[in-house]
Amino acid sequence: MLKRKMLMNWSWPLKIAREVEVTRLYPEVMMELPDAERGLHELDATKCIGCASCARVCPNSCIEMVPYRYGNPLKNKKMQYPQIDYGRCMFCGLCVDECPAECLKMGKKVTMAGWERDEIVRGPEKIAVKKFSEKEEQALEAEAKRIAAEKAAAKKAAAKEGAKKPGAAGAAGANNKAAKKKTAPAGEGAPASKASGKPSEKTAGAAAEEAKAEANPKVGGAT
Amino acid sequence: MTTASDVLSSIQSAFPGAVLESKVESDRRLWATIDSSKIVDVCKHLTEKLAFDHYSGAAGVDWIARNEMEVVQIMTSHGAHQVVAMLKSKTPREKPTIKSLANLYWNANWYEREIWEMFGINFEGHPGLYPLLLGDDLVGAWPWRKDFKGYPDLTTGKRAVERPTADGYTEYFIPPTPAEIEAGTVPIKLKYPSYREREEAEIKSDAEMIMHMGPQHAMLPGPFLLDILVEGERVHKAFLDLGYIHKGIEKIMENRSWLQGITYTDRMCYVASLTNNECYCGAVEKILGVEVPERAQYIRVILEELSRIQSHLIGTGEFLTLIAGVGYAPWNFMIIDRERIISMIESVTGARLTHTFVRFGGARNDLPEGFADKCRDALKYIESRTKEYIELFNQDPIYHMRMEDVGALSAETAKRVGISGPPLRAAGVAYDMRKEDPILAYPDLDFKVITGTKGDCADRVDVRLREILESVHIIEQCLDRIPSGPIMTETKVPKKIPAGEAYYRVEDPRGEMGMYVISDGGDKPYRVKVRGPFYATLQTLPPLLEGVYIADVVAIAGSMDGCPSEADR
Ligand code: SF4
Ligand code: SF4
Repeated sequence: MLKRKMLMNWSWPLKIAREVEVTRLYPEVMMELPDAERGLHELDATKCIGCASCARVCPNSCIEMVPYRYGNPLKNKKMQYPQIDYGRCMFCGLCVDECPAECLKMGKKVTMAGWERDEIVRGPEKIAVKKFSEKEEQALEAEAKRIAAEKAAAKKAAAKEGAKKPGAAGAAGANNKAAKKKTAPAGEGAPASKASGKPSEKTAGAAAEEAKAEANPKVGGAT
Repeated sequence: MTTASDVLSSIQSAFPGAVLESKVESDRRLWATIDSSKIVDVCKHLTEKLAFDHYSGAAGVDWIARNEMEVVQIMTSHGAHQVVAMLKSKTPREKPTIKSLANLYWNANWYEREIWEMFGINFEGHPGLYPLLLGDDLVGAWPWRKDFKGYPDLTTGKRAVERPTADGYTEYFIPPTPAEIEAGTVPIKLKYPSYREREEAEIKSDAEMIMHMGPQHAMLPGPFLLDILVEGERVHKAFLDLGYIHKGIEKIMENRSWLQGITYTDRMCYVASLTNNECYCGAVEKILGVEVPERAQYIRVILEELSRIQSHLIGTGEFLTLIAGVGYAPWNFMIIDRERIISMIESVTGARLTHTFVRFGGARNDLPEGFADKCRDALKYIESRTKEYIELFNQDPIYHMRMEDVGALSAETAKRVGISGPPLRAAGVAYDMRKEDPILAYPDLDFKVITGTKGDCADRVDVRLREILESVHIIEQCLDRIPSGPIMTETKVPKKIPAGEAYYRVEDPRGEMGMYVISDGGDKPYRVKVRGPFYATLQTLPPLLEGVYIADVVAIAGSMDGCPSEADR
């Protein structure tokens, strides 16, 4: 009897030697966290407007704005996105409350041990849970370029107009600006964003009318 | 009942011309600037004639633009009436001096020491102006003055250098710059006997010796030094030193925006972070004059009471492991119970201890779905467990021997030394901020103030356990009554808070927590003074320990349930 027990004891190390996992997780099932949990941050890169409000409100200054590619160039002109230093973060959630686009959230993930620095100082590619794919990104970039070109063209046209009617130049320029602001959202009929491509309804002056008329058909063609 | 305007007219008639400025904010708040030569007489008058028997604390303010300093005395009464008199006295910024109240009120001692070491305001007639919170090398730098540049002062390019002292220690020293030597303005280091020298001066015979308890304690979580002078088993005198974890939170908050300040109140005492949040936000709301929506009020009450339950559970559990006589392990059970409360709070705030939950004019999150039912279950469980604990302690003979009639405080002594919270209520004084200075939804709720009879250690634990039952009762009422609606005010809270000042009090699990907040109209607080409950409790420890046995020291100090981190904020 005893012999058998001893044999069994000897067989134990042989048995576990074959198993890869030696350290077991305990408790075996993680505690269920509530929906309100303030864990690691989650960024919706498709919505972030790069306003840096989150970076300004952080009491520990752990947010830095860094460049990142897979966001929305139509909303975030400079393509700057938050990078969070978890060595300093105290999970107070002020950054989340302050975000005007409601794209920064705190998730349920709370474990964050890592081997490398970038697992503690997490850049946008680490915290982004939603981002554009390469293809969508290219389309968006093209769209952004096109809108920029369009604006340049509109500006040129306005300048010509101004040259034709000297004296009204200042007013025309101002109106033109307003018109451009209105037309910008129309360009957002891009893949993931749901912004409607409605042209602006308010009209401001003859020059603005002209600029709009010039821009709108093209947008309609693109969407 | 006496109101603030009665108090003001009484002072004015007794001391014509002594009140330089005054403001009656409400029936409960009086702000008055008193001629600084008359401040002692006015306080005496208030105590003797108008039942102001509770000296609640004092705050220093540096008005650098007006070139003067101000000391604000906070005077209240233990239940005779509910007026809080904020008495200011002014002194010029060069050689600031104010008459000390320490001979009138025993507990003014520490408040004045703190103001002296932080602002350099001298208190005439104070029995011993020694540093309390600061390290020796910072005394004389007056760090809470507005023109303090940091230590070492980097703006002048100075750095502290290490150098050995004559008795073999290391000290830090800032060498004077050549310009300073030439101008003859080399800062003079103040000379005073150190803590060690002061306590050694008390040794009267060879039979006495000093025993150190701390700074790392088994008694209380958080470091402070308690030295007892013993002869055999008897304690002759006790000395207390704070400042091991001085965080300078009041100064940090002056350099952070109003919103960011909330995160620092969390960290004064993480077990009571919700009440600290409430106190700060309440004070700011008072300055702003915003009304908190009813639903948010109820949410805040529910969470603060839950936080009181968990604080009492951990405090009692921790303490009972120290007196060790108990034949079971209440710590294990209490920490399991506390876990249920903590997860209830977590499901609303999203954090376990440092909540940053209360906002100016509301609360961060709404209650999640199904919260009421889950909370009721948890409360039922806590209620039955707490009743069990009370029964268990009653049956345990060792518990009785170690706790009954040990460290008894009479009602008069307790009032005189300015203690608050469960230790005061255990002495039979029904003094609770939720009744004295009702905030949020508390006036609508039905609850009792729990009091004890004897004021000994057993009573203090008993009061805490019965308070848990009362909190359960309060939360159940809230869950029944909570209305629906918004959780934030409609009016947008501006980034810059309009100029003004407010004093706001809440009942912390440990006692009276008050914050005196001043705004100068900027985006940062001008001054935040925290009047914490445990600072007052710690001050009473040395006299309470005189004449007891060594074994009782732990029982007495532990039964105060404190958090040195909050005293040392
Ligand atoms: S949670 Fe708080 S500390 Fe962390 S990044 Fe956001 S604001 Fe900063
Ligand atoms: S995460 Fe929000 S607050 Fe931060 S930059 Fe983006 S939009 Fe602004």
